[in-house]
Amino acid sequence: MNQFFKGPIILICRIVLGGIFIFASLDKIAHPAEFAKAIGNYHVLPFGLENLLALTLPWLELLAGVALITGVMVDGAAIMVILMNIVFIFAISQALARGISIECGCFSVTTEGGDNIGLQTIIRDIGYLIMGFIVFYRRDNLFELYPK
Amino acid sequence: MIEYNRPIHQVVIFLVLSTLIGFASNLVRTDSIPWIATKLETVESIDLSSAEPVLVAISLDQAKDFFDKGVLFVDARDEGYYEAGHIKGAMRNGFLMELVFNIEEKQSKNDPLVVYCGDPGCGDSEDLAYDLKDSGFMQLYVFKGGWVEWSEASYPSEVGQ
Repeated sequence: MNQFFKGPIILICRIVLGGIFIFASLDKIAHPAEFAKAIGNYHVLPFGLENLLALTLPWLELLAGVALITGVMVDGAAIMVILMNIVFIFAISQALARGISIECGCFSVTTEGGDNIGLQTIIRDIGYLIMGFIVFYRRDNLFELYPK
Repeated sequence: MIEYNRPIHQVVIFLVLSTLIGFASNLVRTDSIPWIATKLETVESIDLSSAEPVLVAISLDQAKDFFDKGVLFVDARDEGYYEAGHIKGAMRNGFLMELVFNIEEKQSKNDPLVVYCGDPGCGDSEDLAYDLKDSGFMQLYVFKGGWVEWSEASYPSEVGQ
């Protein structure tokens, strides 16, 4: 595996990504029904599976965020962040392509008429995706607890 | 065996842990949701005398029947779509509190309401119907076919405000 990145950039990416994912998970964990509705609006999941995703995805975001910041299983957390962002970018793109105007459900699922999806949402997620790759392809393992 | 330093094993650990925590928390919390979302069922016949809150889906024919009886329609789509064309006399969507206020100016919470959006694939009508039910409305009918079925049938419609 090629390992390109080293130095403080990795730590910065870990803390920023970790913080963002923890923050993004909290409102969804608190309001699963609202988050399920937000997922349902994207019209990508069949058979009412939005509830299953609404119950598990926020915890995945929380765990990955905590792992990135604390330095536990950083490789796995970085892969999860990369995969989640690829899924988010796909879901938002297909919604935009079909011309459905919906709320993002990215950070808050309870505010009305706030955070609609758009090109800016995709660019933001691509930013997170790049940060995820920087963490995954890191050369030194500064401030990582486990595994050494 | 699990090797904690292998990224792919770490991924599995994350997935299993988040699934277990998600399911466990849903078991203990008071506002838990069903694992699989239930879809609204379409009813054969409409019982207007029910004392329980009603939230069901209706067909185009049933919607037209309600329309002919003068039942209030609510358009759950965004403003632009509403102005481009909507079911004649339908109320526009907006902020929920404002909508509730506007409906109550016309009728009581016990009277029937038909909610619709663009086409059978859109979820806005269902979402709005649940919100209105939470606001105390007793008889909510989601016309799943929405604007697409209504306009294809050339039933009465209007454009603008």
